[in-house]
Amino acid sequence: MYVTPARRAQKAVEAVIKGILIASSTVAILTTVGIVASLLFESLRFFGEVPLTDFLFGLEWSPQTAMRADQVGSSGSFGAIPLFAGTLLISAIALIIATPIGLFAAIYLAEYAHVSVRNWVKPILEILAGIPTVVYGFFAALVVAPWLRGGGESIGLDVSSESALAAGLVMGVMIIPLISSLSDDVINAVPQTMRDGSFGLGATKSETIRNVVLPAALPGIMGGLLLAASRAIGETMIVVMAAGLASNLTANPLQAVTTVTVQIVTLLTGDQEFDSAKTLAAFALGLMLFFTTLVLNVVALHIVKKYREQYE
Amino acid sequence: MSDTLTHSERIEAGLTKRYRAEKRFRLYGIAAIAVAMAFLVIMLAAIGIRGIGAFQQTEVALTVVFDETHIKDNNWQAIVKESMRKKFPEVTSRSDKRLLTQLMSSGAGFNLQNMYRADPSLVGETRTVWLTASDDVDMLMKGAIDRASPQSERRVSDKEIVWIDSLIADGALELKFNTHFFTGGDSREPELAGIFGAFMGSIFSLAVCFLLSFPLGVMTAIYLEEFAPKNRWTDVIEVNINNLAAVPSIVFGLLGLAVFLNFFMLPRSAPLVGGMVLALMTLPTIIIASRAALRAVPPSIREAAWGMGASSVQTVLHHVLPLAMPGMLTGTIIGMAQALGESAPLLMIGMVAFIVDIPGSFTDPATALPVQIFLWADSPERAFTERTAAAIIVLLVFLVTMNLIAVVLRKKFERRW
Repeated sequence: MYVTPARRAQKAVEAVIKGILIASSTVAILTTVGIVASLLFESLRFFGEVPLTDFLFGLEWSPQTAMRADQVGSSGSFGAIPLFAGTLLISAIALIIATPIGLFAAIYLAEYAHVSVRNWVKPILEILAGIPTVVYGFFAALVVAPWLRGGGESIGLDVSSESALAAGLVMGVMIIPLISSLSDDVINAVPQTMRDGSFGLGATKSETIRNVVLPAALPGIMGGLLLAASRAIGETMIVVMAAGLASNLTANPLQAVTTVTVQIVTLLTGDQEFDSAKTLAAFALGLMLFFTTLVLNVVALHIVKKYREQYE
Repeated sequence: MSDTLTHSERIEAGLTKRYRAEKRFRLYGIAAIAVAMAFLVIMLAAIGIRGIGAFQQTEVALTVVFDETHIKDNNWQAIVKESMRKKFPEVTSRSDKRLLTQLMSSGAGFNLQNMYRADPSLVGETRTVWLTASDDVDMLMKGAIDRASPQSERRVSDKEIVWIDSLIADGALELKFNTHFFTGGDSREPELAGIFGAFMGSIFSLAVCFLLSFPLGVMTAIYLEEFAPKNRWTDVIEVNINNLAAVPSIVFGLLGLAVFLNFFMLPRSAPLVGGMVLALMTLPTIIIASRAALRAVPPSIREAAWGMGASSVQTVLHHVLPLAMPGMLTGTIIGMAQALGESAPLLMIGMVAFIVDIPGSFTDPATALPVQIFLWADSPERAFTERTAAAIIVLLVFLVTMNLIAVVLRKKFERRW
């Protein structure tokens, strides 16, 4: 019959097509492998020069001195604790601002708002998520920071022009939509029967939300907060533009602190020799950043998934 | 006795309080939304107010003589200088003359050069031309430099203000639409700095990003959704893609630096490498959106195709893929919008250099629009702040347009099965 030879060609062609499809799906895997391999490789070179314990537990960060290899005291100090502390401080400020706003916005949109209001408000909040971070950085550095400085002066406070507060505040605004949309999803996933049961016992709407809906949605909300924390820790442009460059171990939000991402950028921009401890340090920081955010994401996705299964 | 109150009376007594709590709770929700929206409005307004001025630029009408000797020496600025002196013959002292020429941008000569290139017969002719004024004059015109402040505190002296006022009185100094902002490359002089170079850098990067990430993303989605067996390997790919979507963008920059630049020795600062890094970054977004689009195609379509004797590959390529395409394109446009706004990974691969020339190919050194914003935001000149905000406005206009196209596409091809 006329099918036979043609069929053989078709099989071969389709096998090739499938092969291409499989190959392209490995690109995502290769990307992860590439990230891990390149970060690990360069970090190992770094830890060959600077002991791991010095990096993880050292209290002083001043990579600048390492630039002149021939000078006395050229070793530089690569204690990353001030960077971790700075990152945590700014992320904490961001979460303190974004959590109540994002959560209450989600509760209102999911439980109270009329559909037409919801249809308008949700996309507007999503705009906040679509604005490039460099725009937030500009806003933080050139608008919010001077305001805070001026405001602080008028009440006698000394606010740094690169204060952690300015960067954290603006970063908080950036992650509001992340928290609100994730919380909105999990609140909507709480079955209506649970609310109806609570109403049947005479509870008001807010009592139902506080005592029934939120406890039921809590794991999902926590997962969302972890994702938001991971976004805040990895955020680069806002802190590069609005946070400080010099390391400063402090918990005072009015002072300038520096972060892991800021240091990666400052260590790697500009022409540099590629074998100095200074540039390699950026990869060690990148490795820390990658693993921290990876753990946060894996835990968060796991919690959210478990939570969804519970009510499905 | 206290138990004279009946049960229902006790409930009534608590009710007002509970209703008040209810109202308060509701208000918190409204307040939260109001605060978030207020932030958005304040941010956009603050940027709009700062940036709107940059779309205009102060220009001065000068009567210039295309002097042959100057043209031969390629000294175009001298022509500008002479015509300024002719306009103000009363200025004689050396330092005043210098001040006078400083009213004009150091790039004013380029305008004349361009005119001459377009029409070489201009030699020896006299023409009245509008030429770019310096950024200080521009800032004074826009009110950013306060005339009332003491002379020592402002960048424009009293003498200069007298000259500027006489030019205004002659109608020879005006704010005009700033075309150079849209056609020029970067410059150290704010009045000469434009976004076109960065814009072209963004276009080249996005082109590479699209050419890589769209086919790869769609093919990955097709494999995972239509062909992949449910086993451990596909689970690994899935988890991996979800995690890649949440990896900080700067880490992709480190990957690009270590692999593309140091290992494969690709050129630094090139849109080619920028596009490759952005492609890896947007890949998860496109894969996730494409899978959702494939899942939305009902199984009946596939079953009908199989029933007619089509193979799996034919079913997917001829029937499922065309139906899922609008959804995939929508996801891709949103991914491209993200890539357009991204700057952190580009900093890592050297797309932060000061580049005056407009990039003409994928391997020319370039910056991108958001990186240009980052660079200008760092410049101390007042006039650069204005341009930074204006560049942000342009960037946001592009992002809004891309997202609107995505929304329209989605609305147009939305189908209920």
